[in-house]
Amino acid sequence: MTTEATSFEVTLQEKGLGSGWAWSNGSWWLTPTEPLDVRTMTEQMRALGARFLCMTATERTDKEIRLDYQWDLDGKLLSFVTATSSNRIATIADLCPAADWVERETHEYFAVEFTGRKHTQPLMTRAGDPIGINLHKEVAK
Amino acid sequence: MSYRIPIGPYHPALEEPYKLELICDGETVVDANLHIGFNFRGIEYLAERRNYLQGITLVERVCGICSNVHSLSFCQSVEQLNGATPPERALYIRVILAELERLHSHFLWAGIAAKLIGFKTIFMACFTLREKVMDALSAISGNRVNYGMNRIGGVNRDIMDPSSVMSILAEMEREITRTIIPIFLEDKTVESRCKGVGILTEEQAIAMGAVGPLARASGVPQDIRKSAPYAAYADLQFEVPVETAGDVRARLVVHALEMLESCKIIRQALTTIPEGPIQATVSSAGKFKVPAGTAISRVEAPRGEVLYQITSNGTDIPERVRVRTPTFMNMATVRFTVIGQELADSPLIQASCDPCYSCTDR
Repeated sequence: MTTEATSFEVTLQEKGLGSGWAWSNGSWWLTPTEPLDVRTMTEQMRALGARFLCMTATERTDKEIRLDYQWDLDGKLLSFVTATSSNRIATIADLCPAADWVERETHEYFAVEFTGRKHTQPLMTRAGDPIGINLHKEVAK
Repeated sequence: MSYRIPIGPYHPALEEPYKLELICDGETVVDANLHIGFNFRGIEYLAERRNYLQGITLVERVCGICSNVHSLSFCQSVEQLNGATPPERALYIRVILAELERLHSHFLWAGIAAKLIGFKTIFMACFTLREKVMDALSAISGNRVNYGMNRIGGVNRDIMDPSSVMSILAEMEREITRTIIPIFLEDKTVESRCKGVGILTEEQAIAMGAVGPLARASGVPQDIRKSAPYAAYADLQFEVPVETAGDVRARLVVHALEMLESCKIIRQALTTIPEGPIQATVSSAGKFKVPAGTAISRVEAPRGEVLYQITSNGTDIPERVRVRTPTFMNMATVRFTVIGQELADSPLIQASCDPCYSCTDR
């Protein structure tokens, strides 16, 4: 790891984003073994002026959904990784309006329930359509 | 009395399928609801059932305008995973293609904006210039759209005749400077149709995660080519135009000035492009072996930042392909930009956000 990279890791710690950030394949990653409090992380990211980019859902073998939240902090890509519990996770859309569409999309594709949302109107699908359309097991049926 | 005007999803006034419900009080828009998903093709799902080579071809079909940025982002992500570093010459060719594509997209946008303003002479001028860009793209790649230029570890074709691109570039710069910029920046008709119309404030742009020219016209100086350079952008000198008014006029100004910057970038790249190979030299056995892992790549598309995340499980088929396009972030801002505006201005306001529903719906 370069001196610059090490220095940025220290900067992330100093900014209160915790330890354990590691650079890999185009992003800084935080992949803790315990579930992250996504709302606290979102508040911290927003307080630092980070820009919400995206959330990537990936189906796991234990039927939970891995969720990667991507942010941009001064041109640096930060990704923190967590997972659903019984296919549920807290919403961040009220803290970060930019996450509204991506949560609705993730609900439709991977049947993730974002708790705390006032409503989850269909985005890509229509009212009454099945959810979880990108889940491999559902399509395999 | 308030009334609701449903527009779309298939409507003579719309270029692409989406639905907009405008709630109006008299001639003033008081709220708006946007419905998308009419062009959903399940491209992420399909990409997880094709090998990496097929994936390049597939993702290039996400969009018919900015097709190159999708294959570029896809290839950059895979290159991070398998370490296939493109040669310098390939990186410059990627920049030239990306900027020609930006010009093509911006001319298309400017033409449509001019038509909606009621300035059809500029519509014709923009589309004439767009044809020249497409001629250049065709001369380089053999295709007017879906160029098929990117490959894992480089590009598929060299630029055989840089002088022909240079001559097209000179003509475009002359027309942009002589016609498009003066009219977009100084013409009274354009000003009266666009100034103070469809404002997106800096706070709204940041909160909604707006990207690209839309964000830059609202004072957000964000451009991946500068903040996280890829390909050969770090070697090239260019400015990122930023306006603070956040209205339709500011979007016109940003787009027009970006056209000139693109010309500047292409000229520099063509004159400083290093000699050498255009594809990474890797053993045939290891050429398309992609180790397990997750990689992310970002590219500044004409409409803003595109993000690709690819997860490999070590096989020749990606486990996960995530595509986040600029319009996906930008379109939710339309609600803010039309509220309080005249109903008659809503087509121009929507168009000024440069939406692409093919990208958004994927």
